[in-house]
Amino acid sequence: MKILVVAERRSGEVRRVSLEIAAKAAGLGECEVVAVDPPGGKEQARYSPVAHATAVAEKARASGAKVVLVGATLDGRDLAARLAAKLGWSYAADCTDVAVEDGSIVAKRAMYAGKIRATVRVALPAVISVRPGAWTLPSGAAAPAIVDIDAAADDPRVAFVRFEATSSGGKRVTLAEARTIVSAGRGLKGPENWKMVEELADVLGAATGASRAVTDAGWRPNEEQVGQTGKTVTPDLYIALGISGAIQHLAGMTASKVIVAVNKDPDADIFKIADYGVVGDLFEFVPAFTEAVKKVKGRG
Amino acid sequence: MRFLVCLKQVPDSTVRVKVGADGRSIATEGVTWSISPYDEYAIELALERKDADPTTVVSVVTVGPARSRDALRQALAMGCDDATLVLAEVPLGGLDVAKALAKIVEELRPEVVLCGKQASDDDQGLVGPALAETLGWPHVGMLTRLVPGAEGIELWREAEGGHEVWRATPPVVGLVHKSEKEPRYPSLPGIMKAKKKEIPEKTLESLGVTANGPTDDVVSMEPPPQRGGGKIFKLDGDPAGVAATLAQALHEEAKVL
Repeated sequence: MKILVVAERRSGEVRRVSLEIAAKAAGLGECEVVAVDPPGGKEQARYSPVAHATAVAEKARASGAKVVLVGATLDGRDLAARLAAKLGWSYAADCTDVAVEDGSIVAKRAMYAGKIRATVRVALPAVISVRPGAWTLPSGAAAPAIVDIDAAADDPRVAFVRFEATSSGGKRVTLAEARTIVSAGRGLKGPENWKMVEELADVLGAATGASRAVTDAGWRPNEEQVGQTGKTVTPDLYIALGISGAIQHLAGMTASKVIVAVNKDPDADIFKIADYGVVGDLFEFVPAFTEAVKKVKGRG
Repeated sequence: MRFLVCLKQVPDSTVRVKVGADGRSIATEGVTWSISPYDEYAIELALERKDADPTTVVSVVTVGPARSRDALRQALAMGCDDATLVLAEVPLGGLDVAKALAKIVEELRPEVVLCGKQASDDDQGLVGPALAETLGWPHVGMLTRLVPGAEGIELWREAEGGHEVWRATPPVVGLVHKSEKEPRYPSLPGIMKAKKKEIPEKTLESLGVTANGPTDDVVSMEPPPQRGGGKIFKLDGDPAGVAATLAQALHEEAKVL
């Protein structure tokens, strides 16, 4: 079976999720990896739905692919949906596993904002987006050969005007792809204390996240919100600082491999799903923990 | 300017969703139904334009079972002008929903169509882009702000590290991620007014739509794996000691450090 993988680049580098998918897809069938050069070339890399979906749809038809796999990043999810509509193919979003069975795809995916895990049967041909980190990248996996294709003409009724950076400026690894996340909630008491979270995240090489209370209060940008109406994340290590654990937050991070919770309230719901819990004042604990992590990392 | 907001009624975000007896759908008994959160944000963005310019008309539509009428009533109570129900008792595939919505767009002729970026039941996020594709319109996703200007509408799109600002010359489909303000609560006069409004009902047949697109076939559902029984530490005046123990455990036992 022919599989088309659409790779995505960020600042010129192929994204990890694209490498994960390419490595896995090679075992599912005959696989070709493409990346779309956006209008304006690599430097002006802006994803635009019509320009990208039209180019990939042409490629999918011409190549005889039965499945298109796309990383479920912000842009990848958008592209996959428009592409499925353009081709009239089946569609499954943000899948955590994909297998080929009896001439159709059987995929696993979260539903109801992470409160349900579903197995779905998807008829071929199909467009599937795959959650970053769902498939482990084998160490020493060969970099896939990527064929660049040109974006099609964009719809003239929309145009990119400018970029407005938020204060954090996107220097860190993104939440969706992070293997470690340090998240903080209302227990942090105010934005002036965010530095403590960043220091721990720096030592861990982690992305920073926040509860809805924190983003709603404007302490942190919306893009850092974890949970329902924010991001669903599945890192290896999720550290929740001063987060009580509203059901909407838990739904967005309960599939993390290891959960650490720090909270003053021993009855906080977050402790019900934590692998390690620390009951106490986070202002005492976090600086000490940052030092302890430094020591462990220093020893290798 | 006319806005059309496409919404879906889903279990309220506070509901503890459980798997039903058939093992492939959810248990609906006792479930509180609400407008999907991203659709509520879309309604708020549209109503803010109406606040700024009272000549703005905000219509809402849903494709769904009869109970969805309550969600439309809620949208009217928030301040939307009119509502349409496309009755579909059996869940449709996303491409078929888009075809039905496209017929309503052709009828109402809005300049801007807003959809939540995904409905928090199936979390597919297909209908918005599919509607744009069916109509032959462009779409812009992840919207958090919408600013009309002389040269078209500025659409703010959340991206990694900030916002991309796009300019659209209507018609356009926008997929909403968030509104800056929390969606408004219905006012008492709003509720009274909404009660009196007619909500016209259409069927796929009356719209001339045949449902023949791909469907979503759920084989099985299960709750996320049970967690808990974790190790709990108390600080007890020794943050450095607890910190060292935890770091060690994450390194040697959990192997995530």
